[in-house]
Amino acid sequence: MSISIPELLVNDGFISPGDQVKIKNFSERSGMSYAKIALNFGYISRKNYERSLSNAGYHFAQIREEAFDPEVLKQVELKFANDHVALPLRIENNRVVTLMTDPSNQLFLDFIRFTYDMEPDIIIAYDLDITWLSHKLLGEKYVKASVYELMRRDPKSSASTTFTMPQLIFIFSLLGIIAVGMVLNFKNTSIIINVVISMFFLIAIIFKLFLALVGSRFELHQAVTKEEVRNVIDDELPPYTILLPVYKEDKLIKKLIWNLQSIDYPREMLDIKLLIEEDDDKTLKAVQNLDFPAVFEVIVVPFHMPKTKPKACNYGLHFSRGTFLTIYDAEDIPDTDQLKKVVALFTKLPAHYICIQSALNYFNRNENFLTRMFTLEYSYWFDYMLPGLDTLDIPIPLGGTSNHFKMDALVELGAWDPFNVTEDADLGVRAYAKGYKVAIINSTTYEEANNEPINWIRQRSRWIKGYMQTYLVHMRNPAELIRKIGFKGFLGFNFFIGATSATFLVYPLLLAIFISYLVFDFSTIRTLFPDWVLFMAIFNLMVGNILMIYVNMMAVFKRRYFELILFAIANPVYWLMHSAAAYMGLYQLITNPFYWEKTNHGLSKVNNPTNVVK
Amino acid sequence: MSISKNQYLFIITVVLAIYYLAVGIYINHLGYYNQESIFYIEKTKIIFEGLGNRIKVMGLTAPLLPFYCSIIFSSINTFWAPLIASALGTAAFFYIIGTALSTRVKNDDFYLGVVVILFFLHPGILYAATSGKAIYLVLIFFFLFFFNLLKFYRSNTTFHVSLASISLVTLIFCDYKFVWLCLFFIPLVLVITLQSLNLGEKESIFRLFLSFNSPSLRRKLVSKTFAIYIILFILPIASIICYKLLNLTHASDLNYFIESPYATWNVLVDKLNYDMTTAATNYQLPELSVLVSAKVIYFCPLILVAIYLFRESTYQALTVLTPFAFIEFLHMKYDKLYLTYEYYLIFLILALLCLIFKAQTVKNQKIFKIIVLVTVLAQLYTGYIFLANSLIHDEKAFITTLVKGERNPDQNESMEMAEYINSLPSNAHVLMDDAVAYPVAAFTNNIKRLTLPYQDMFLSAIETPYHYDDYVMIATAKNPFTGYTQLNNRYIPLIRIVNSGVNYKRVYETNNWILYKIITIQ
Repeated sequence: MSISIPELLVNDGFISPGDQVKIKNFSERSGMSYAKIALNFGYISRKNYERSLSNAGYHFAQIREEAFDPEVLKQVELKFANDHVALPLRIENNRVVTLMTDPSNQLFLDFIRFTYDMEPDIIIAYDLDITWLSHKLLGEKYVKASVYELMRRDPKSSASTTFTMPQLIFIFSLLGIIAVGMVLNFKNTSIIINVVISMFFLIAIIFKLFLALVGSRFELHQAVTKEEVRNVIDDELPPYTILLPVYKEDKLIKKLIWNLQSIDYPREMLDIKLLIEEDDDKTLKAVQNLDFPAVFEVIVVPFHMPKTKPKACNYGLHFSRGTFLTIYDAEDIPDTDQLKKVVALFTKLPAHYICIQSALNYFNRNENFLTRMFTLEYSYWFDYMLPGLDTLDIPIPLGGTSNHFKMDALVELGAWDPFNVTEDADLGVRAYAKGYKVAIINSTTYEEANNEPINWIRQRSRWIKGYMQTYLVHMRNPAELIRKIGFKGFLGFNFFIGATSATFLVYPLLLAIFISYLVFDFSTIRTLFPDWVLFMAIFNLMVGNILMIYVNMMAVFKRRYFELILFAIANPVYWLMHSAAAYMGLYQLITNPFYWEKTNHGLSKVNNPTNVVK
Repeated sequence: MSISKNQYLFIITVVLAIYYLAVGIYINHLGYYNQESIFYIEKTKIIFEGLGNRIKVMGLTAPLLPFYCSIIFSSINTFWAPLIASALGTAAFFYIIGTALSTRVKNDDFYLGVVVILFFLHPGILYAATSGKAIYLVLIFFFLFFFNLLKFYRSNTTFHVSLASISLVTLIFCDYKFVWLCLFFIPLVLVITLQSLNLGEKESIFRLFLSFNSPSLRRKLVSKTFAIYIILFILPIASIICYKLLNLTHASDLNYFIESPYATWNVLVDKLNYDMTTAATNYQLPELSVLVSAKVIYFCPLILVAIYLFRESTYQALTVLTPFAFIEFLHMKYDKLYLTYEYYLIFLILALLCLIFKAQTVKNQKIFKIIVLVTVLAQLYTGYIFLANSLIHDEKAFITTLVKGERNPDQNESMEMAEYINSLPSNAHVLMDDAVAYPVAAFTNNIKRLTLPYQDMFLSAIETPYHYDDYVMIATAKNPFTGYTQLNNRYIPLIRIVNSGVNYKRVYETNNWILYKIITIQ
């Protein structure tokens, strides 16, 4: 078998001679092997690759249980093995047993001969199996770094400790004081609690309305115009990393490829990493069984607790080559010109802008009640709240996906906190604390709205728990936080991150009191609400509900989702679901703070075409 | 050092505020009070000093926003609070108009000059600024409503339509009658939506034809029209529903805030005003329906200029014409009431707004400016004439006091009675009904010693006054409000029958009020 694999693939007609040249050139520039590029940059499907080699007499072995020698593994660097989809395992019969996808990869064969001073004994294996095994065997130092790097470098910003001792003392002292107060003077203590809660709600409502109005003012403002996108020169675009952390998302892999293929960005400049957990065979198999070319590279994240998305992203970061980096979920459909827009905006913005957040919205908004409500909420959050925060220069809690970073700054910040279950929100605050800024862009990524109530509550409980974690982390030293992000930022942080969880916790209690007030005995409750407190509480109830509903209506009106506008009225019911999730989140914060409540994707039956921006 | 335009505007605003305050305090010293400001003063006193169900007074006193604005300044001086609020509010209104003008009409101070003249000299603006009435807030929010609506026509953004909606809510909570303005926007919204659709046709009627004949456009038209209705009207509707429910839960009456004399000042005042004028020996003809619009044009000819400016855009011209339909409707709906000055003033504001948007589009600026200037000067005269010949007592009294500088005796009697109550022993309690006696209550030093209807014990006190109070104040038969209170000249004989062991001694008397001392003889 003297013919090389690249020639074989051309002879079999799977790769055109033109593409052959492109692959070789790209291989020389990037240091990645021919097979790696061919299989991961959309040139050939894994099925066809296997077919071609099998026809030529090669046999693909199952290698996951192969014996290995740590001494042999020590001499190979994971990144090199990953780039060449090859791995030396052990010495046997004076030969190095080496796993290879492309047995004609001369560079790697030479590496084996030179490093071990022996001839290789090649076992042909699927590239994904080799990737899986090499990350499992060699990835330990990277996965440890992914988990402990932030904790080591900036322990004050790590959520590895949920409650610090001073925080515990504060919380228990407060509970103690309230308990003593209740025993000594139930009425006055209750009145004081009512006053505090009412004031808090009042300020939170006014703040949110103000933010929405500020945000909606910039409705017509286009951070990047179509003209500017047209002026972007393809040859000057920098490498762009897209991280796709997935877990058991086998149903979404095909959709994912369609969505990624429609991104308007030079193929070779895209560095797309599908981050698959070591134990996630389902997704790995789905990728293996694709009958069309994949446009992403698989990175297998070795097992290590906590098993969270930020840990996977941190791990993927070690293998990323982009100047810029973004995260998408498997089901995301970004505007096709989003990456170009981001590059154009980064060029325009001052250097201290290190992150750009795109708007998120839902493609399956009309599926059921829940997806409609979710769309209302996201429209309000990303179209009004975040631009409002941006305008007022208040820390922006980044959305879960579609936040685009400058890679060097992200690394400098210590990347994501693997112990925080809303690592994105935390990172936004950390960036502000370091003097960096986040911008908002006029581009949308369409996601799949959760259409199943229990699944929704699980997802939301994680978000709210994460907000609580983020709040606790940054409020360890309030004075220092004020110094870092300013008083305005501090207030914004408290009323946006802190208040969000608190309001959902308090909301059902107040609603229960109100219903009791209506249904049962007026006079008993009236004693706990002196005139002006009752006045404030009624104002909050009426005006607060009306305004929050109205702001939701404004947001969908802006998006021209006219059919959703009346659904905003159902918000008080939807907020009760938030409250259920908030209590679940609070419970988990105490009992299992780092547990990543997995959201099931792919439940939607709605198929949305790619959002092509013309 | 050069002064920027904004600083320039700010300085004029401050001068205006001082000017309004000075005029306001001057006429106040001449004894001018109007029913509305006295009503706010009395309710403010109840909130801060009263004993009893203050939440009802706090939440259900109407119009709500002017009352709250007055409360803000009550820490400075309770009696001047409405006046300070209206003076500062009107000055702030000037600043809002000035800013809007300077951002749209650049390098031409003529129109700003016109606004300055109007704000310094127009009797109506002076009335709004120095009377302590809610007119200033009505004008501000009326301006903001139309301002944002016209901005929405240009930008088509949610921001402006939602601000218009918020302004409409606040406007309604300054004067509930403006709720009827919504009625005339119902057909208008369809035209607005038609205009915002991306169609090649320019004429509204053809756009409508196109939209109705294409299923997708029809669907879009319907959903967008509905959405604009919602975004524009849901806030006012929801606010009114909630407020009415609050009235129901706290006062057992959905319309308490507009129908009860305890909640709002104008229920009785308006009725009385109409009755007195129509029943007077010198009978004055009530306003005729067809003449109201003509009167508006006489009062504010500038509005004709404004309509002319919008002649090229049907829906914008219709928007400017909407208030005409509104006041004609008001005149029909409330046929027993006179249209107050406030409803004429809104046209002056609307005309200014149109100038802000369109003045610079006129090619021949010289002639246009002459027309505007002449019209504005004419309006200063008509503004005076309207006040001087007003059928509404408060308005006429204002201009008479201001121009003649003579003392206004309207509240002398209330002050006199209040003075007597103040001189009573500090532990003496007086039963009175502030539905009609709120001027007396307002001038009383210590509202704690009054037993008023906001207190739960009021009904018991009426039944058995000797258990709760030492004095009772009743309205005499001459008092024009005597039919609207239980504490009138029929009360004492009645209560004597119920309990003959109690005697009532007349201790002080004015034309409209009698104060009885309750003497228990058992």
